[in-house]
Amino acid sequence: MSVIAPKFRLGYLIKGVIDNIFWIILLVTLIGIPIVQIVLIYIDFPIIDGEIWNPFRVLDALTHPERALPLVVSFMQSDLFKVVAFPGFGFAALIAAATIFIERKMLAKLQLRVGPFYCGKVEGILQLMADGLKLISKEIIIPAKADKPIFWAAPVLFAATAGAFVALIPVAPGWVVADIDLGLLAVFAVIGFFPIITILSAWSSNSKFPFIGGIRALHQMVSFEIPLILSVLGIVMLTGTLNLAEIVQSQANFPWIIFMPVGAVVFFITILAELERIPFDLPEAESEIVAGWLTEFSGMMYGLVQLGTYLKLYAFAGLFVVLFLGGWNGPDIVPPFPAEIVTDGITILPGALTVEIPGLPLLAHEMINGTIWFMLKTIGVILVILLPRGVFPRIRIDMLLHIGWYKLIALSFVNIFIALALVYGGVIGPGGIL
Amino acid sequence: MSAKLPPGLQLEKVDDRIMTLNVGPQHPGSGHMRIIIKVDGDYIVHTDPDPGYVHRGEEKMAEYRNYITNIPHLERPVIHDSCNILYPYCLGIEELLGLEVPERAKYLRVIAAELNRCVYIQYWLAIYGIFLGHSTMFMWPTGDRELLIDLLEKMTGARVTHAYFVPGGIRNDVPPNFEDVCLRQVNYFEKRIKEYADVFYDNPILISRTRDTGVLSREDAIKLGTTGSVLRASGVDFDIRKKEPYDVYDELDFQSPTLKEGDSYARSKIPWLDMFESCRIIRDALKKMPKSGSVRVKLKPKPKGGDTEIYRRVESGRGALGMYIVSKGKPQPYRLKISVPSFRNLIAMPHLLTGEKLGNMPAVYWSLNYWPVEADR
Amino acid sequence: MYVTARENKKNEGKVVLKMSSDENNTNVEKTEEAPPVPEFENPLANLILKKFPSATIAFANPDRTRVNVSKEEIIQTASFIRDELHFDHAESVSGVDYPDEKQIEVVYHLGSYDDPSLSKQIMILATRVPREDNPHPGNDTTKLSSLYEIFPSVAFHERECFEMLGVYFEGNPDNRRLLLPEDWADIPPLRKDFDIKGR
Repeated sequence: MSVIAPKFRLGYLIKGVIDNIFWIILLVTLIGIPIVQIVLIYIDFPIIDGEIWNPFRVLDALTHPERALPLVVSFMQSDLFKVVAFPGFGFAALIAAATIFIERKMLAKLQLRVGPFYCGKVEGILQLMADGLKLISKEIIIPAKADKPIFWAAPVLFAATAGAFVALIPVAPGWVVADIDLGLLAVFAVIGFFPIITILSAWSSNSKFPFIGGIRALHQMVSFEIPLILSVLGIVMLTGTLNLAEIVQSQANFPWIIFMPVGAVVFFITILAELERIPFDLPEAESEIVAGWLTEFSGMMYGLVQLGTYLKLYAFAGLFVVLFLGGWNGPDIVPPFPAEIVTDGITILPGALTVEIPGLPLLAHEMINGTIWFMLKTIGVILVILLPRGVFPRIRIDMLLHIGWYKLIALSFVNIFIALALVYGGVIGPGGIL
Repeated sequence: MSAKLPPGLQLEKVDDRIMTLNVGPQHPGSGHMRIIIKVDGDYIVHTDPDPGYVHRGEEKMAEYRNYITNIPHLERPVIHDSCNILYPYCLGIEELLGLEVPERAKYLRVIAAELNRCVYIQYWLAIYGIFLGHSTMFMWPTGDRELLIDLLEKMTGARVTHAYFVPGGIRNDVPPNFEDVCLRQVNYFEKRIKEYADVFYDNPILISRTRDTGVLSREDAIKLGTTGSVLRASGVDFDIRKKEPYDVYDELDFQSPTLKEGDSYARSKIPWLDMFESCRIIRDALKKMPKSGSVRVKLKPKPKGGDTEIYRRVESGRGALGMYIVSKGKPQPYRLKISVPSFRNLIAMPHLLTGEKLGNMPAVYWSLNYWPVEADR
Repeated sequence: MYVTARENKKNEGKVVLKMSSDENNTNVEKTEEAPPVPEFENPLANLILKKFPSATIAFANPDRTRVNVSKEEIIQTASFIRDELHFDHAESVSGVDYPDEKQIEVVYHLGSYDDPSLSKQIMILATRVPREDNPHPGNDTTKLSSLYEIFPSVAFHERECFEMLGVYFEGNPDNRRLLLPEDWADIPPLRKDFDIKGR
């Protein structure tokens, strides 16, 4: 008796196929067509080359690549694309996921094991996705005496705040979701939300270990935000701006880490603490307080918090790159787009067939180059953030607060004095040598 | 509350300032036990260890089984150190029945016991690492432990529950090429455990966390009757292998490491130093061991002891492990009391934890070399 | 039921032990000056017998000495063992049930860390308490003075002995359950009349 399909009949197969077709047609008719109509009626269509693109033209353009490209370019300039895909959420999540995969493999090599191995056939490359799927499929359990609205809201708030943080990071010239003049101030404002969310979730779960973990997280975040802000002030003094894109542009010749290594070190240590990474993972210290403020989260609520943590990780690493490592600045490593294709078109048969594709180049040259540099630097910083896990144990809360209040604040003042000396010495700044 | 509670239970009083934490039995930092901790802010003001979650009644079971059939279940309390927990039992039964163990069996026993000590300490060290949040220190000892487990598997046929020691010798001789393999693997193992210093014992964060936490003075260590690594970390040089040598320990060349500080760091370092001494003992024993000969004295099917009592103790991976056997001329022991080092060290826990910070709890608790399953028996 | 001292002496006669407790206890007289006290190879036994004539030395091996005392005398004997003989900790406290004699024996195994000459020695201090057929642990006559004040290391061992055999230790600050469940309602399980099913 065979194991596969013991009762196979051709009729069953045909019936199954017909069933599927029926359900697809039904669902498309009942749901798909109304959606298309709503879209057609209510969505504004873009104006390209002085013409309004109606739906028929869109469908028409999809069949002709030379007409589709302007549409794609126009879509890539839209806010939706920026928020969802490139400098925003999708890009951040992808980088964070890729880095975490690399980190897991590297940590495994450090610890004499293999790490993720089976999921995705090639070295367990889909492990993170599998973990996410597992979390989605888990039951969500709410403690009986929890304050339910706040408890439900906390993971969503956490992920959303992390997403807001991601939106502030400029990736390439012009490629930032929210390009605001007070970008750095906005970063501080967004960071300030995390302790509140943490303590809200810890308190609302009405459980002892999350409460202790939340209090610890509150202590840790509040006491490390002060050196975080102070360590960045030096750069603001030197550049005279709070706009992150302008800060990046000011580093076209040299990154600020050359002049303020003290500030960079302080900033790096504080982001380790803000991210609750080992050696500062006290709010989640499992041998003391189970999982800290995450103890009562289950299923996708935990998954959302993890997603938020990864986004936060990317955003802090990106902030470090933007502030200290020169952001997208770097030598040209991408060959420039051949200009004759833009002007003359692609010659397929010499003298006979030349295809002209309007809309090229799809992406500006400095954008590709800048993105690659930004990605390389960010991944490097993320790896440096993650790898202390392999060599350090966890420290204690009193030691942590001691480091935060005594050493880091003092060091960040040292950094400010360095910046002041550079400005008044006429080395950098208005009328400076450099 | 009007509901009647069972005797022995009482309702907890709610306090505005003091919070009661149940660390265990479902807590990643407890093991199979519960510690009831009361914290005032970040400080522990009251500690009440509550073992017994894995109490299996080994002592009661032993009264119903023959001397020989007691062997497999008596090693269950601490399967990672199963040779050492059977050691005092076999020594006691031999004294009871007047057996003389063959010379080769004595050496093989010492080798197996020392290998098992290393296996236990590696496991303990792995958990100490993860308790302090050091994941590499969890993986390295767990991996290196496999070397010795393979050796023990060659010797005994089982990975952890060996049941290797029997009254009158050992169960079976080792395979022919065992000595070469053993020497090679033990040498490699010693090289590996030297590297733990780089990643763990010399780590500044580890030192700053465990130095001067949970200090047990020499007087307190003696008064509380602690044993093993806890005692030796407090400056008392007391090792049963030295003080009351059994089998061939008096002919072998080794020292028992002793430190004076008595803090968590010293307590965590003593077992690590012990492993080097174990390697020395194994090498020495392999050199001095007779190359052939019988390894076991044949016993009658149901040996009967006289009307007497025996108390024998050995140095296990955690400390002195004693067995008190009362015989009444029957094939079964009349009473078998296992005096386990974990249970003896448990009394130091409230003494050390009270007054410490909550963050120090795992560092102090696991440095006591405490094995909950063994304490419950 | 105990092996008597005389027989034991015959068995262990060949062993010669040099004890240095005389050096530590200069105030203790030589044992030869007390002729009625039976002599043992082990000087510890002689010292105890001299001080407590009512105590019985069950056996005195070179490194194990067993002293049986009555339950009224146990505090004094333990104090003497700690102060004069320099035993400083308890290794185990075991209870042994003797239902035929209606008694429960409590055996303390005492050892010494401080005195290197005693490190091989185990002083076995045993006493007997009356046993009741229908035990009410803590509320019946099965009571004994705790040695907690003398050897603090007995604290958890005595707790275990209380729950396992029902011997209540007066003076132990903590006589709650330790290993058994808090709501255990059966008789103490290490008594001989507590039978395992199927055996």
